[in-house]
Amino acid sequence: MQHAQALEPALETSTGLDNRKLLMWLFLASECLFFGSLIAAYMLYRDRSVVGPYPGDLFDIPFTSVSSFVLLMSSLSMVLALAAIQRGDQRGLRIWLLCTALLGITFLSGQAFEFTEFYREGLSLDTNLFGTTFFVLTGFHGAHVSVGVLILLSLFVMALRGRLTPEKSLNVELAGLYWHFVDVAWVVIFTVVYLVTPT
Amino acid sequence: MENPAFLLGIPIVVIGAIGVLLSLATLLGSTRLPAWLLEPMAAEHVPTRPVHEPAALGETSHPGPMEYVMVAAALFALEALELVVYYLDFLGAAALPIFLLLTVIQFAMVAMWYMHLKFDSRAFWQLFVGGMILAGAIFVVVLATLGSSFL
Repeated sequence: MQHAQALEPALETSTGLDNRKLLMWLFLASECLFFGSLIAAYMLYRDRSVVGPYPGDLFDIPFTSVSSFVLLMSSLSMVLALAAIQRGDQRGLRIWLLCTALLGITFLSGQAFEFTEFYREGLSLDTNLFGTTFFVLTGFHGAHVSVGVLILLSLFVMALRGRLTPEKSLNVELAGLYWHFVDVAWVVIFTVVYLVTPT
Repeated sequence: MENPAFLLGIPIVVIGAIGVLLSLATLLGSTRLPAWLLEPMAAEHVPTRPVHEPAALGETSHPGPMEYVMVAAALFALEALELVVYYLDFLGAAALPIFLLLTVIQFAMVAMWYMHLKFDSRAFWQLFVGGMILAGAIFVVVLATLGSSFL
Protein backbone atom coordinates (compact mmCIF):
# COMPACT_ATOMS: atom_id res chain seq x y z
CA MET A 1 0.00 0.00 0.00
CA GLN A 2 1.59 3.21 -1.10
CA HIS A 3 1.24 6.56 0.52
CA ALA A 4 0.07 9.45 -1.55
CA GLN A 5 2.77 11.77 -2.75
CA ALA A 6 0.65 14.82 -2.27
CA LEU A 7 -3.03 15.32 -1.73
CA GLU A 8 -4.91 18.54 -2.20
CA PRO A 9 -2.54 21.50 -2.50
CA ALA A 10 -3.17 24.20 0.06
CA LEU A 11 -5.23 26.56 -2.06
CA GLU A 12 -5.30 30.21 -1.14
CA THR A 13 -8.95 31.15 -1.44
CA SER A 14 -10.81 34.17 -0.15
CA THR A 15 -12.44 32.08 2.55
CA GLY A 16 -9.56 29.78 3.39
CA LEU A 17 -11.78 26.88 2.33
CA ASP A 18 -11.85 24.89 -0.87
CA ASN A 19 -14.46 26.55 -3.09
CA ARG A 20 -15.73 23.28 -4.56
CA LYS A 21 -16.38 21.83 -1.14
CA LEU A 22 -18.05 25.03 0.02
CA LEU A 23 -20.29 24.99 -3.03
CA MET A 24 -21.23 21.37 -2.41
CA TRP A 25 -22.26 22.16 1.16
CA LEU A 26 -24.29 25.13 -0.06
CA PHE A 27 -25.98 22.85 -2.57
CA LEU A 28 -26.74 20.30 0.15
CA ALA A 29 -28.23 23.06 2.31
CA SER A 30 -30.57 23.93 -0.56
CA GLU A 31 -31.40 20.25 -0.93
CA CYS A 32 -32.56 20.26 2.70
CA LEU A 33 -35.16 22.85 1.72
CA PHE A 34 -36.14 20.84 -1.36
CA PHE A 35 -36.76 17.61 0.53
CA GLY A 36 -38.22 19.51 3.50
CA SER A 37 -40.89 20.92 1.21
CA LEU A 38 -41.71 17.53 -0.31
CA ILE A 39 -41.89 15.82 3.08
CA ALA A 40 -44.12 18.60 4.42
CA ALA A 41 -46.43 18.19 1.41
CA TYR A 42 -46.60 14.43 2.00
CA MET A 43 -47.39 14.82 5.69
CA LEU A 44 -50.07 17.35 4.86
CA TYR A 45 -51.93 15.32 2.26
CA ARG A 46 -51.32 11.65 2.97
CA ASP A 47 -54.38 11.17 5.19
CA ARG A 48 -56.69 13.41 3.17
CA SER A 49 -57.37 10.91 0.42
CA VAL A 50 -61.05 10.24 -0.17
CA VAL A 51 -60.44 6.99 -2.03
CA GLY A 52 -57.99 4.16 -1.39
CA PRO A 53 -55.60 2.57 -1.34
CA TYR A 54 -54.16 4.07 1.82
CA PRO A 55 -50.64 3.82 3.28
CA GLY A 56 -51.59 1.08 5.71
CA ASP A 57 -52.90 -1.08 2.87
CA LEU A 58 -49.67 -1.02 0.91
CA PHE A 59 -46.52 -0.58 2.95
CA ASP A 60 -44.32 -3.61 3.45
CA ILE A 61 -42.14 -2.44 6.34
CA PRO A 62 -39.72 -5.42 6.47
CA PHE A 63 -38.99 -5.06 2.75
CA THR A 64 -38.41 -1.31 2.96
CA SER A 65 -36.29 -1.78 6.08
CA VAL A 66 -33.94 -4.01 4.11
CA SER A 67 -33.75 -1.35 1.39
CA SER A 68 -32.94 1.27 4.02
CA PHE A 69 -30.26 -0.96 5.48
CA VAL A 70 -28.74 -1.41 2.00
CA LEU A 71 -28.55 2.36 1.56
CA LEU A 72 -27.04 2.85 5.02
CA MET A 73 -24.36 0.29 4.27
CA SER A 74 -23.62 2.01 0.96
CA SER A 75 -22.60 5.04 3.02
CA LEU A 76 -20.06 2.87 4.81
CA SER A 77 -18.58 1.60 1.54
CA MET A 78 -18.50 5.17 0.20
CA VAL A 79 -16.52 6.46 3.12
CA LEU A 80 -14.19 3.45 2.89
CA ALA A 81 -13.56 4.38 -0.76
CA LEU A 82 -12.56 7.86 0.39
CA ALA A 83 -10.26 6.43 3.06
CA ALA A 84 -8.71 4.17 0.41
CA ILE A 85 -7.87 6.98 -2.03
CA GLN A 86 -6.53 9.15 0.77
CA ARG A 87 -3.98 6.49 1.67
CA GLY A 88 -3.20 5.77 -2.01
CA ASP A 89 -4.90 2.36 -2.10
CA GLN A 90 -6.14 2.21 -5.71
CA ARG A 91 -7.43 -1.36 -5.49
CA GLY A 92 -9.45 -0.57 -2.37
CA LEU A 93 -10.79 2.56 -4.04
CA ARG A 94 -12.07 0.60 -7.05
CA ILE A 95 -13.62 -2.13 -4.90
CA TRP A 96 -15.45 0.23 -2.56
CA LEU A 97 -16.63 2.55 -5.33
CA LEU A 98 -18.09 -0.40 -7.24
CA CYS A 99 -19.59 -1.78 -4.04
CA THR A 100 -21.29 1.55 -3.31
CA ALA A 101 -22.68 1.79 -6.84
CA LEU A 102 -24.01 -1.78 -6.66
CA LEU A 103 -25.66 -1.13 -3.30
CA GLY A 104 -27.25 1.99 -4.81
CA ILE A 105 -28.53 -0.04 -7.74
CA THR A 106 -29.91 -2.62 -5.29
CA PHE A 107 -31.80 0.13 -3.49
CA LEU A 108 -33.17 1.44 -6.78
CA SER A 109 -34.26 -2.07 -7.77
CA GLY A 110 -36.13 -2.38 -4.49
CA GLN A 111 -37.82 0.94 -5.11
CA ALA A 112 -38.79 -0.08 -8.65
CA PHE A 113 -40.26 -3.31 -7.27
CA GLU A 114 -42.16 -1.40 -4.61
CA PHE A 115 -43.55 1.10 -7.12
CA THR A 116 -44.66 -1.74 -9.39
CA GLU A 117 -46.40 -3.53 -6.54
CA PHE A 118 -48.17 -0.35 -5.46
CA TYR A 119 -49.32 0.26 -9.01
CA ARG A 120 -50.72 -3.25 -9.19
CA GLU A 121 -52.58 -2.59 -5.96
CA GLY A 122 -54.22 0.41 -7.61
CA LEU A 123 -52.04 3.31 -6.45
CA SER A 124 -50.76 5.65 -9.13
CA LEU A 125 -49.70 9.26 -9.32
CA ASP A 126 -53.29 10.44 -9.84
CA THR A 127 -55.22 7.94 -7.74
CA ASN A 128 -55.40 10.07 -4.62
CA LEU A 129 -53.45 12.67 -2.63
CA PHE A 130 -51.44 9.99 -0.88
CA GLY A 131 -50.36 8.52 -4.22
CA THR A 132 -49.41 11.90 -5.65
CA THR A 133 -47.30 13.03 -2.70
CA PHE A 134 -45.79 9.59 -2.08
CA PHE A 135 -44.62 9.06 -5.66
CA VAL A 136 -43.32 12.62 -6.01
CA LEU A 137 -41.33 12.43 -2.76
CA THR A 138 -39.87 8.95 -3.16
CA GLY A 139 -39.52 9.40 -6.92
CA PHE A 140 -37.39 12.51 -6.50
CA HIS A 141 -35.30 10.70 -3.93
CA GLY A 142 -34.87 7.79 -6.33
CA ALA A 143 -33.80 10.26 -9.03
CA HIS A 144 -31.14 11.60 -6.64
CA VAL A 145 -29.92 8.06 -5.97
CA SER A 146 -29.79 7.43 -9.74
CA VAL A 147 -27.65 10.52 -10.26
CA GLY A 148 -25.42 9.37 -7.42
CA VAL A 149 -25.00 5.94 -9.00
CA LEU A 150 -24.00 7.57 -12.31
CA ILE A 151 -21.42 9.71 -10.49
CA LEU A 152 -20.05 6.65 -8.69
CA LEU A 153 -19.80 4.63 -11.89
CA SER A 154 -18.01 7.55 -13.58
CA LEU A 155 -15.53 7.67 -10.70
CA PHE A 156 -15.10 3.90 -10.93
CA VAL A 157 -14.25 4.13 -14.64
CA MET A 158 -11.82 6.97 -13.89
CA ALA A 159 -10.21 4.83 -11.19
CA LEU A 160 -9.93 1.88 -13.61
CA ARG A 161 -8.12 4.12 -16.11
CA GLY A 162 -5.79 5.36 -13.40
CA ARG A 163 -7.09 8.91 -13.60
CA LEU A 164 -8.24 9.03 -9.98
CA THR A 165 -5.00 9.71 -8.20
CA PRO A 166 -4.66 10.65 -4.52
CA GLU A 167 -4.24 14.26 -5.64
CA LYS A 168 -7.84 14.10 -6.83
CA SER A 169 -9.26 12.66 -3.62
CA LEU A 170 -11.50 15.71 -3.30
CA ASN A 171 -13.53 14.41 -6.27
CA VAL A 172 -14.34 11.28 -4.27
CA GLU A 173 -15.03 13.33 -1.16
CA LEU A 174 -17.52 15.57 -3.00
CA ALA A 175 -19.29 12.55 -4.50
CA GLY A 176 -19.32 11.08 -1.01
CA LEU A 177 -20.94 14.17 0.47
CA TYR A 178 -23.71 13.96 -2.10
CA TRP A 179 -24.16 10.24 -1.51
CA HIS A 180 -24.30 10.57 2.27
CA PHE A 181 -26.87 13.33 1.94
CA VAL A 182 -29.05 11.07 -0.19
CA ASP A 183 -28.66 8.48 2.55
CA VAL A 184 -29.67 10.76 5.41
CA ALA A 185 -32.58 12.10 3.36
CA TRP A 186 -33.82 8.51 3.10
CA VAL A 187 -33.38 8.00 6.85
CA VAL A 188 -35.87 10.84 7.38
CA ILE A 189 -38.19 9.72 4.57
CA PHE A 190 -38.27 6.14 5.85
CA THR A 191 -39.30 7.28 9.31
CA VAL A 192 -41.79 9.93 8.30
CA VAL A 193 -43.39 8.11 5.38
CA TYR A 194 -43.24 4.47 6.39
CA LEU A 195 -42.95 4.20 10.17
CA VAL A 196 -45.11 7.08 11.37
CA THR A 197 -48.57 5.75 10.66
CA PRO A 198 -51.45 8.13 9.93
CA THR A 199 -53.78 8.91 12.79
CA MET B 1 -51.22 35.92 13.89
CA GLU B 2 -54.15 33.63 14.63
CA ASN B 3 -52.16 30.56 13.80
CA PRO B 4 -49.51 29.52 16.36
CA ALA B 5 -47.38 28.21 13.51
CA PHE B 6 -46.29 31.74 12.74
CA LEU B 7 -45.11 32.28 16.31
CA LEU B 8 -42.90 29.21 16.08
CA GLY B 9 -41.97 29.14 12.42
CA ILE B 10 -41.03 32.74 11.69
CA PRO B 11 -38.33 33.00 14.39
CA ILE B 12 -36.85 29.71 13.16
CA VAL B 13 -36.82 31.02 9.60
CA VAL B 14 -35.10 34.22 10.73
CA ILE B 15 -32.45 32.33 12.75
CA GLY B 16 -31.75 29.93 9.87
CA ALA B 17 -31.55 32.78 7.35
CA ILE B 18 -29.14 34.71 9.58
CA GLY B 19 -26.91 31.62 9.83
CA VAL B 20 -26.79 31.15 6.06
CA LEU B 21 -26.28 34.88 5.40
CA LEU B 22 -23.43 35.04 7.91
CA SER B 23 -21.71 32.24 6.05
CA LEU B 24 -22.28 33.87 2.67
CA ALA B 25 -21.27 37.33 3.88
CA THR B 26 -17.71 36.17 4.30
CA LEU B 27 -17.71 35.06 0.66
CA LEU B 28 -19.22 38.26 -0.69
CA GLY B 29 -16.80 40.37 1.30
CA SER B 30 -13.83 38.39 -0.02
CA THR B 31 -12.58 38.09 3.50
CA ARG B 32 -10.93 35.11 4.99
CA LEU B 33 -13.07 33.23 7.49
CA PRO B 34 -12.07 33.77 11.11
CA ALA B 35 -9.82 31.13 12.63
CA TRP B 36 -12.53 29.76 14.93
CA LEU B 37 -14.70 28.98 11.89
CA LEU B 38 -11.89 27.16 10.13
CA GLU B 39 -11.16 25.02 13.15
CA PRO B 40 -12.75 21.58 13.38
CA MET B 41 -15.35 20.77 16.01
CA ALA B 42 -13.62 17.65 17.26
CA ALA B 43 -10.33 16.82 18.88
CA GLU B 44 -7.45 15.33 16.92
CA HIS B 45 -7.80 12.06 15.05
CA VAL B 46 -5.43 9.54 13.57
CA PRO B 47 -4.49 11.12 10.23
CA THR B 48 -5.38 9.19 7.07
CA ARG B 49 -2.81 11.14 5.05
CA PRO B 50 0.94 11.10 5.51
CA VAL B 51 1.90 13.53 8.24
CA HIS B 52 4.49 15.33 6.11
CA GLU B 53 1.91 16.40 3.57
CA PRO B 54 -0.18 19.52 4.01
CA ALA B 55 -3.94 19.24 4.20
CA ALA B 56 -6.23 21.43 2.14
CA LEU B 57 -7.28 24.66 3.78
CA GLY B 58 -9.94 24.24 6.42
CA GLU B 59 -9.53 20.48 6.32
CA THR B 60 -8.36 18.22 9.10
CA SER B 61 -7.62 14.54 9.43
CA HIS B 62 -10.52 12.13 8.97
CA PRO B 63 -11.14 9.07 11.13
CA GLY B 64 -9.87 5.63 10.10
CA PRO B 65 -11.79 2.68 8.60
CA MET B 66 -12.35 0.97 11.97
CA GLU B 67 -14.20 4.01 13.30
CA TYR B 68 -16.34 4.09 10.15
CA VAL B 69 -17.27 0.42 10.68
CA MET B 70 -18.20 1.12 14.30
CA VAL B 71 -20.46 3.95 13.18
CA ALA B 72 -22.08 1.61 10.64
CA ALA B 73 -22.71 -0.95 13.39
CA ALA B 74 -24.36 1.74 15.51
CA LEU B 75 -26.51 2.82 12.55
CA PHE B 76 -27.59 -0.78 12.00
CA ALA B 77 -28.52 -1.11 15.67
CA LEU B 78 -30.58 2.09 15.55
CA GLU B 79 -32.35 0.90 12.40
CA ALA B 80 -33.18 -2.39 14.11
CA LEU B 81 -34.43 -0.51 17.16
CA GLU B 82 -36.76 1.53 14.94
CA LEU B 83 -38.25 -1.69 13.61
CA VAL B 84 -38.73 -3.06 17.13
CA VAL B 85 -40.52 0.14 18.18
CA TYR B 86 -42.71 -0.04 15.07
CA TYR B 87 -43.99 -3.48 16.03
CA LEU B 88 -44.59 -2.63 19.70
CA ASP B 89 -48.27 -1.76 19.42
CA PHE B 90 -48.71 -0.87 23.08
CA LEU B 91 -46.47 2.20 22.64
CA GLY B 92 -49.18 3.97 20.65
CA ALA B 93 -48.56 7.70 20.28
CA ALA B 94 -45.37 7.41 22.36
CA ALA B 95 -43.70 5.74 19.38
CA LEU B 96 -43.63 9.03 17.45
CA PRO B 97 -41.07 10.86 19.63
CA ILE B 98 -38.98 7.68 19.80
CA PHE B 99 -38.94 7.46 15.98
CA LEU B 100 -37.97 11.12 15.70
CA LEU B 101 -35.21 10.76 18.29
CA LEU B 102 -33.76 7.68 16.58
CA THR B 103 -33.91 9.45 13.21
CA VAL B 104 -32.13 12.53 14.54
CA ILE B 105 -29.39 10.34 16.04
CA GLN B 106 -28.92 8.43 12.75
CA PHE B 107 -28.90 11.67 10.78
CA ALA B 108 -26.36 13.26 13.12
CA MET B 109 -24.07 10.22 13.06
CA VAL B 110 -23.94 10.13 9.25
CA ALA B 111 -23.44 13.89 9.03
CA MET B 112 -20.79 14.10 11.76
CA TRP B 113 -18.70 11.05 10.89
CA TYR B 114 -19.36 10.08 7.28
CA MET B 115 -19.77 13.64 5.99
CA HIS B 116 -16.92 14.72 8.29
CA LEU B 117 -18.78 17.68 9.78
CA LYS B 118 -17.17 16.81 13.08
CA PHE B 119 -13.68 17.06 11.63
CA ASP B 120 -13.94 19.75 8.95
CA SER B 121 -14.38 23.50 9.12
CA ARG B 122 -17.20 24.87 11.24
CA ALA B 123 -18.31 26.91 8.21
CA PHE B 124 -19.60 23.73 6.52
CA TRP B 125 -21.48 22.82 9.68
CA GLN B 126 -22.98 26.31 9.80
CA LEU B 127 -24.15 26.16 6.19
CA PHE B 128 -25.71 22.72 6.52
CA VAL B 129 -27.41 23.37 9.84
CA GLY B 130 -28.70 26.68 8.45
CA GLY B 131 -30.35 24.73 5.64
CA MET B 132 -31.69 22.18 8.09
CA ILE B 133 -33.23 24.84 10.30
CA LEU B 134 -34.88 26.49 7.32
CA ALA B 135 -36.20 23.10 6.17
CA GLY B 136 -37.56 22.45 9.65
CA ALA B 137 -39.21 25.86 9.64
CA ILE B 138 -40.89 25.13 6.30
CA PHE B 139 -42.06 21.82 7.70
CA VAL B 140 -43.58 23.33 10.83
CA VAL B 141 -45.14 26.35 9.13
CA VAL B 142 -46.70 24.38 6.27
CA LEU B 143 -48.13 21.64 8.46
CA ALA B 144 -49.44 23.97 11.17
CA THR B 145 -50.79 26.58 8.77
CA LEU B 146 -52.59 24.14 6.52
CA GLY B 147 -53.78 21.99 9.40
CA SER B 148 -52.11 18.60 9.17
CA SER B 149 -53.11 16.00 11.73
CA PHE B 150 -49.40 15.38 12.25
CA LEU B 151 -49.04 18.52 14.40
